[in-house]
Amino acid sequence: MTTNSDFPDFDTMSPADFEHYLPEFFANGDGHVSTDPRLQTFLKNNPDCAALVRDLETIAEHAKSLFDPVEPSDTVWSNIQSKLKQQPADDDRR
Amino acid sequence: MDVQGLQMTEIKTVPGLFKRNPPIAGEAEAIEAAKNGDAEAFSKLYALHKRRVYTLCLRMLGNVSEAEDMTQDAFLHLFRKIGSFRGESAFSTWLHRLTVNLVLMHLRKKGLNLVSLEETINPSEEDAPKRDFGSRDLNLTGSVDRVALERAVASLPPGYRMVFVLHDVEGFEHNEIATMLECSTGNSKSQLHKARLKLRDLLRQPEPPTTQTTGLKETAV
Repeated sequence: MTTNSDFPDFDTMSPADFEHYLPEFFANGDGHVSTDPRLQTFLKNNPDCAALVRDLETIAEHAKSLFDPVEPSDTVWSNIQSKLKQQPADDDRR
Repeated sequence: MDVQGLQMTEIKTVPGLFKRNPPIAGEAEAIEAAKNGDAEAFSKLYALHKRRVYTLCLRMLGNVSEAEDMTQDAFLHLFRKIGSFRGESAFSTWLHRLTVNLVLMHLRKKGLNLVSLEETINPSEEDAPKRDFGSRDLNLTGSVDRVALERAVASLPPGYRMVFVLHDVEGFEHNEIATMLECSTGNSKSQLHKARLKLRDLLRQPEPPTTQTTGLKETAV
């Protein structure tokens, strides 16, 4: 777990510092950098960084709803059954 | 139109998709019975997990035919290896790892640049996201819909796509991804960040002249 002491001063860091540490901010901030109280002053003073964060949060948020689960076709199970009949259990099974 | 930042037309959450499967009634019994060769129990495990396994394969491979083949292989592998499941992690997590490993092996066999997993998750420079972090031209005109995002994910380099799918879509933690992909936690964080940056780049690009209706037609090459 990264602690505050591993980061530069949140209010005076440069955008380059912010970019460098952004993956850690996301990983440590429960995925919500924009609401991290430690970063509010910095984001207010650096609108480009704030916009970037919003974009990345939007992408991450919408990723959760991507790719509805889908069923494989029935032939998959048919093929599995067919192959299981051909190959008995091996030593990994009890 | 002065729109700063990405806008999505619709958020459609699918309960149970993002989070891994909670314990399922009857699953433990089916696992134990399947370990003893009970075909009906194995059929139940297939019914319980086929959608997750197939959808994972489809996300990672971006190709229906390959995804079905990998689903078949995953369950045949499960049948052979279920005796080694000790219950130290959730069955769904264990099956997930098994499937991810099989997909990775499949990708290597296809001759992709997947000699090592560290290489796997380090795409070439040309695939890397642009580093225009400090620019002010973030304005996106129009909105980006779910299909566009799916298409963008499908077009990611395989390594980026894998980490993005495992973390942002599947909900795995970085330490879990690091274990699965045999890389460092820091590498997983870094690759996820690059994947999101690359997606941002892709979503900001104008639509190609000929658009497809689905993002899952791309082959993972």
